[in-house]
Amino acid sequence: MADILTSVFRTFMSQTDVNKDVTVVPHSACSALLPGDSSVIRSVLLPGDSSVSSSVLLLGDSSISRSLLLLSAVMAASELGVRVVFFTQTQIQSLPVCLQKCVPSPESLKKIKFSYPRTLGDLLQQVAGLHESQNTSPTPPSLIIVDRLEGFLGGNHSENQSSAAHLSALLCDTSSFLTHILKQRSPSSAPCRLIASFRSDVDSEHAGGESSATDPILDVLDRYFQMRCTLDRDRSYEAAAAGLKELWNVYLSATGITEDACTKEREDRPAAAPKEWQLSISPDGSMEFKMA
Amino acid sequence: MKMRSFLPAVAEQLFRDIQKAYQETSQIPDDLLIALKFVFGPCALQALDLVDQHSVTCLSSPSGRKAFQVIGGSGRLYTCFVSCHYCPCPAFAYTVLRRNEGPLCKHILAVYLCQAMAVTQQESVSDPQMSALLSGTAPL
Repeated sequence: MADILTSVFRTFMSQTDVNKDVTVVPHSACSALLPGDSSVIRSVLLPGDSSVSSSVLLLGDSSISRSLLLLSAVMAASELGVRVVFFTQTQIQSLPVCLQKCVPSPESLKKIKFSYPRTLGDLLQQVAGLHESQNTSPTPPSLIIVDRLEGFLGGNHSENQSSAAHLSALLCDTSSFLTHILKQRSPSSAPCRLIASFRSDVDSEHAGGESSATDPILDVLDRYFQMRCTLDRDRSYEAAAAGLKELWNVYLSATGITEDACTKEREDRPAAAPKEWQLSISPDGSMEFKMA
Repeated sequence: MKMRSFLPAVAEQLFRDIQKAYQETSQIPDDLLIALKFVFGPCALQALDLVDQHSVTCLSSPSGRKAFQVIGGSGRLYTCFVSCHYCPCPAFAYTVLRRNEGPLCKHILAVYLCQAMAVTQQESVSDPQMSALLSGTAPL
């Protein structure tokens, strides 16, 4: 049996390979508003029709993370036509600029359910209740998004590790259960995906630093999430030359226990090499992706 | 169980061997017990004690959701997930999460062993009870 990680990456790689060579035909007005390789966000945050559930931890600047989470929610609801649950502590005041220019149809926005748990306990209860019939009929959610895990988990103290593990395990187990339900109802349906954003305290203390591996909370999150998507501000000469535009490097890499546990898939390792994109943000807030 | 991919291949093989041996003889042979102790350390004997005491129950609710409940040595109930490793016990927090000294605690190991030996108790709960257990808000 191929391990989960390899399957996710195979799916993800084939999509990006296709995207590189073929002109992307926008499926909806919303994708047209992401110029450049507009399907990158889908490849990165919504790795496609894999037979296994997939989970991505989005690391880095919280306002950009939030825009990417909102874009993912809107793309999933409008293009894939699936239900989305979006957990966040702070009210959504406005949509990202690229969506403001083309307000998604009210019908597709209705597929996104925003929930505003105030505490970790509230969030755990709301996620734990997703299996109940009022949340799974007529169709269960196919995308679970949690904005700013750090807001629920407290500081990077080792006492908070168990809470981080409980929340991550509950999220993964819930997406695995919902995948099972989705497949039961329609065998061809895609798995229930999970995306959560996290900004490490350790990371911000060493802005521009190399590794955030010393954050005990991040160590725990990495055990449960299959992939990490890291946003890193590009401070190179090229970035300075871009003028008012902000350049960010977006790296996708594998995480989790599966990496060292499943040694039998070693020959497939090259497939798990980190992938890289560049995201440029104009002063008006519009975003553009391209392969790095 | 689906959480096999979180274990090293050697542990997966060991559970398969235990399953096969137990099906055929209703016993775990000494060589597999020694292997169990070798792979999981002192946790192995404690987990076997929990198996002997029928401490592992698989809870199901009408939605189809399942979870494991393990009665610890002190009588406390621990809820574990079916698709990934988590246990609210102090040993999981300290040994697994903080010190990274192993993949699981005695309660999760007991779940694997009960599944391999097909001796897990079964119990039904309501959907709201299941939610409360999963979120850790159920009265213990």
